[in-house]
Amino acid sequence: MKRFWALWLVLIIFPVSQSQAKVYIDQLGREMTLGKPPRRIVSLSPGITEILFALGLEHSIAGVTEFSDYPAAAKHKPRVGSYVNLSLETIVSLNPDLIIASADGNRKDDIEKLAGWGLAVYVVNPQNLQQILNTIQDLGRITGQEQQAKTIVADMRRRKQAVTEAVAELSRRRVFVQIESNPLITVGQNTFWDNLISLAGGKNIVSGKATGYPRYNLEDVLLSKPDIILVTSMVPTGKEHQQLAFWMSWKAIPAVRDDRVYVINPDLVDRPGPRIIEGLERLARIIHPEAGFSQP
Amino acid sequence: MTVTFKKVVFCSLCLLILLVLSALSAIYFGPAKISPLEILSIFQQGFGGSTQGVIILSIRLPRIILAGLIGAALAAAGSIFQALLRNPLADPYILGISSGAAVGAISVILLGYAAGGWCIPLFSFIGALLTVLLVFYVARTREKIQTNTLLLAGVIVNSFFSAVIMLLLSISNGHDLQGILYWLMGDLGQADYGKLVLILPYILGGVGVLYLYTPKINLMLLGEDEAGQLGVEVETTKKILYLLASLITGAAVSVCGIIGFVGLIIPHIVRLIWGNDYRLLLPASFLLGGSFLIIADTIARTIISPVELPVGVITAVCGTPFFIYLLRTRKVL
Repeated sequence: MKRFWALWLVLIIFPVSQSQAKVYIDQLGREMTLGKPPRRIVSLSPGITEILFALGLEHSIAGVTEFSDYPAAAKHKPRVGSYVNLSLETIVSLNPDLIIASADGNRKDDIEKLAGWGLAVYVVNPQNLQQILNTIQDLGRITGQEQQAKTIVADMRRRKQAVTEAVAELSRRRVFVQIESNPLITVGQNTFWDNLISLAGGKNIVSGKATGYPRYNLEDVLLSKPDIILVTSMVPTGKEHQQLAFWMSWKAIPAVRDDRVYVINPDLVDRPGPRIIEGLERLARIIHPEAGFSQP
Repeated sequence: MTVTFKKVVFCSLCLLILLVLSALSAIYFGPAKISPLEILSIFQQGFGGSTQGVIILSIRLPRIILAGLIGAALAAAGSIFQALLRNPLADPYILGISSGAAVGAISVILLGYAAGGWCIPLFSFIGALLTVLLVFYVARTREKIQTNTLLLAGVIVNSFFSAVIMLLLSISNGHDLQGILYWLMGDLGQADYGKLVLILPYILGGVGVLYLYTPKINLMLLGEDEAGQLGVEVETTKKILYLLASLITGAAVSVCGIIGFVGLIIPHIVRLIWGNDYRLLLPASFLLGGSFLIIADTIARTIISPVELPVGVITAVCGTPFFIYLLRTRKVL
């Protein structure tokens, strides 16, 4: 008889709990169950933090990773370690009802551990601008900020279209990105940089020769004759002239000869968040100043 | 095997020819396909020509000379450390010079001054010199330097600075992290004539003076007491060897990071071929080290071109099988 009672209990309770808890599939295909809209969220990458702030969730963020420096209010949130080196203890002690992780950066075993302890972990994995838009929508959906997400994504789509239409008919200028000069490190295929340069009407000279962030031969930069060189540097450091000085001795490169070496803040391009659209517009203005679309 | 002056000259000449041949073939290889005839005409025209001219004269040539110089310096310094510490495992980095230099370089990278070109070499050289003085101070007891104390002091200081490196790595952000890791792997891609001129006096001068001490090194290898009885000022000689070999290593590390393996293996290869007489061992290590690093760096920059590999990977991968072969056929060190 006891079994029957248990069965009855299950039948009574199940529909109730069903209506509250929702199962979500994250971007790695993992299942995650979430009850009411989360109010204590821990973000495990600076990009995710930016998305959460943009969604108006400032007061629902319980913790962020090191280097979450945008917007300014993010600097005052509790820190849970850097994204490759998380403090799991700090995360658990913040008693989060949702943890948002990034497949590219956070360690897989950290994610598995947190999920294994019964915490709700949602993993995002955007690889290009389109997937960043999807990620903003996904995070809006699971945090109950769907309307906000729709507004942001619509604005970003409109600005992206403005850029791509403006450069559609223009010749694709050759671009080289310098992440590091000593040794020379650049960006290859399958990076946000490559994706954005191509959307902004340029062509990454490394595309098709290497992927990720390779150590690169200077000779090939001279041979490929880039029209534009982008030097990444955190702004404002005031040391841009040092970054540029490295290139000044290579007058054989068209970009150097024509004085088209630019310093750009990498956070606008390789941080998957809402500001990436600013990065796209900035790249487009650098690569095609003649296209003449207005400042946002 | 007796070593005469004639033999030293003969072997050195052979190795010099090898060095020139490896440099000449290295200048031909690279992402840009430039025929030997074109290279010849570029050399006749001199600077200020086409893109090809810039590639040959401003990218490949200084890099090859730098590789030769660094390889030579590390191999020579390694041979001196092996004699000084009487330890076959000794290499130029064993007394912590590399980690001291790395702390200097990483600090500059983290402070954001890395791009200037001069800051990293300057601060890593300062880091290396401070480490040398620190180890020297720790190891000195009553005006004497005990070999084992020196080794221990070096290893301790090395592990301390390694911990500092780990600390700096763990608090740095992603952008800096990559630059630091690549510096730690060693890199010859930043070669220019300014850097060559900067380190040339340290390396040539240092090795030149060390060569004058090679007869004393030979006597000291028989035993310090014996050498003392034969009129060698053992303590002074040890200090000079230590400081000169460290200076050479510091200069090398400051311009191209930590390139491993050359300083350990080249002296052993020379030793296996020609024996342990330093009058031959030092110049032979110097010249062979140069050829070896030129060849290794050529492979590193061309094998998956235009992407480059860290040259330390190539030195270890190419050097080990050859070394094992020598070890198996000779059976003695």
